[in-house]
Amino acid sequence: MTEKNHFDGANYVTNFNAASTELPGSSVAWLNDLRQSSMTAFENVGLPGPKVEEWKYSNLNILKSGQYQFLNESSSQDLQIDNLCDKEFLKDIKGAKVVFCNGYYHQSLSNISAEPGITLVNLNEYIKVGPKDAQRLIHQKKSKSSLNALNAALMSDGVVLIVEQGVKLSEPIQIIHINTEMATAKALRNRHYIQIEKNASAQIIESYIGVDGVDCWSHTVSEINVADGASLEIYQFQNEGNATIHTNEAIIDLGEGTTFKHCSLNIGGRLSRTEIKPTLKGINSKIELRGAFLSRDGNSHDVFTHIKHMVEQCDSEQNYRGVLAKGGKSAFQGKVYVAKDAQLTNANQSNKNLILERGAEANSKPELLIYADDVKCSHGATVGELDQEALFYLKTRGLDQAAAKALLVEAFIAEVYEDVVLEPVKCKYLDLARKWLEAEL
Amino acid sequence: MLEIKDLHVEVAGQKILKGLNLTINSGEVHAIMGPNGAGKSTLSYAICGKQGYDITQGSITFKGKDFLQLEANERAGEGVFLGFQYPVEIPGVSNLNFLKAALNSIRKYRGQEDMAAIDFLKLIRAKAAELEMDPEMLKRAVNVGFSGGEKKRNEMVQMALLDPIFSVLDETDSGLDIDALRIVAEGINRMRDPKKSILVITHYQRLLDYVVPDFVHVLANGKIVKSGDKALARQLEKEGYTGIDVDGQAA
Repeated sequence: MTEKNHFDGANYVTNFNAASTELPGSSVAWLNDLRQSSMTAFENVGLPGPKVEEWKYSNLNILKSGQYQFLNESSSQDLQIDNLCDKEFLKDIKGAKVVFCNGYYHQSLSNISAEPGITLVNLNEYIKVGPKDAQRLIHQKKSKSSLNALNAALMSDGVVLIVEQGVKLSEPIQIIHINTEMATAKALRNRHYIQIEKNASAQIIESYIGVDGVDCWSHTVSEINVADGASLEIYQFQNEGNATIHTNEAIIDLGEGTTFKHCSLNIGGRLSRTEIKPTLKGINSKIELRGAFLSRDGNSHDVFTHIKHMVEQCDSEQNYRGVLAKGGKSAFQGKVYVAKDAQLTNANQSNKNLILERGAEANSKPELLIYADDVKCSHGATVGELDQEALFYLKTRGLDQAAAKALLVEAFIAEVYEDVVLEPVKCKYLDLARKWLEAEL
Repeated sequence: MLEIKDLHVEVAGQKILKGLNLTINSGEVHAIMGPNGAGKSTLSYAICGKQGYDITQGSITFKGKDFLQLEANERAGEGVFLGFQYPVEIPGVSNLNFLKAALNSIRKYRGQEDMAAIDFLKLIRAKAAELEMDPEMLKRAVNVGFSGGEKKRNEMVQMALLDPIFSVLDETDSGLDIDALRIVAEGINRMRDPKKSILVITHYQRLLDYVVPDFVHVLANGKIVKSGDKALARQLEKEGYTGIDVDGQAA
């Protein structure tokens, strides 16, 4: 039985059954139960089709045949992986690194000897060592998303990060996902559990890297808790190969007096969908979501945010920018829910899109559901072309057409990352954007 | 240096310039005055190569080169500078980066290496100081949030940095208070040199009290209808354009 407007999930049940003995932790009974019940939950709903409002701009028709199979751990190892890591970037950021190769923890590239006061380990190891703790940690959150359930049923590995009460990490932690040729025709499913306990703070850099031409599905879910007084910053880089499908869902619960920042750049893959779903459960908390997506022919980037203001006196800010070359497609959907009791909420969102050439498609959809009466909420969306007056101005100062365009587009993107304090992260964002632009202009 | 012959320019199908002739030699300062809609800004855009300004007849040569074959940025590389009536705001681009990109683009056009960052900083600080620009303005986004006077001052700093051999100043004096006008005039006068030329386009006589031109031309109905020396500007200020026959016959 599949819900109306959804694609039938039967092919995935076949995949699941075929993979059942190879799934990590198959000797752990509760985990098997969890996988099985998640599979059933997925099967009951199916894959969201384009008639589902939230999925209007990302057509999952390409996934309905279930052609992306489970990849077992022994087939995931790839000796070429060393060449794919951005060594310079790894060097500039001193903190711990957790590297996943085709969905599985890669020990020799990782360095998890982290600071005291934190637990940092890959999920499969965590389950093996302490199955009881793991059972408590895993799958606490109820998600209605069928893709989330599919991820839980077929997850290969992930990160467990627990930052203990009052611990403030001095260096960011990197979580790096690398897809290689071994991933061809496979689905890579990571599932991350991140707990920032009371008054603790952490920064995470989450990268997705891949090889052009590798047709795979990279599918990640992160479950995140930020306890009272804690803060978390996530810097995401989605830069996979041009044939990859990328779906990513982060569910974040925020306590009282918390800060949560999420910053992203979507640049790779043929279809990417980034979902960020923070829920404000304690007063005096702040959310800041920002990012850019750059689409060229054959790219579709879809950023979907859903912020729930459940309590009073919280702020949320969203700032997303899209740049589209000919044939590129993008969507920003910003959903903000303000509950009846969430008085004195400040919720602002802005999405600006720049079309470099006719024949691109930018979609922007703010959705504000406000049930409180004493709030300040705003939204703004624009789609436009480069300012011809500004181009001429730059050309009279000696810049040629390409350089003038590049300067204006870079500036448009750079405004999003202006406040990023981690210098190597900011530079990396701008470098990637610049390289993308050089190929387009 | 600059020779314009029988120039006809159309904008969106409308004939704006209709057979304009103008010769400017090294070391000369020319002023063009004229009523609204005469084609003054069109002339400056045509000289600098703005898109949408179609040259249907005539020629513009600069130091013997056919300018109509060159893009706007190549004309800048040849040594032409346009001071804008309304300088454009560019959010997200710092003035400093903009100026560096401009200077190095022109150097590149001339086959020179990029200027070393430290030398560039020294140079731009010196130019900003000469024109009494607050160094903080160099860090801000190009013209964003600048007052009218600050924008024009920024134009003068750009001109001083790029050191053109021919400058076109399109109503650079409009909307300026007397202090800003003085700064702009000083900026222009600094460019006076036997090897350089300047074309000042203005509505009013008052800038010409500070920047004294060698020649004054009246542009009306797409042509230069009268030329003279600085006395012509005073006459215009006193009598207005009504004393000039716009069909090209001297009054």
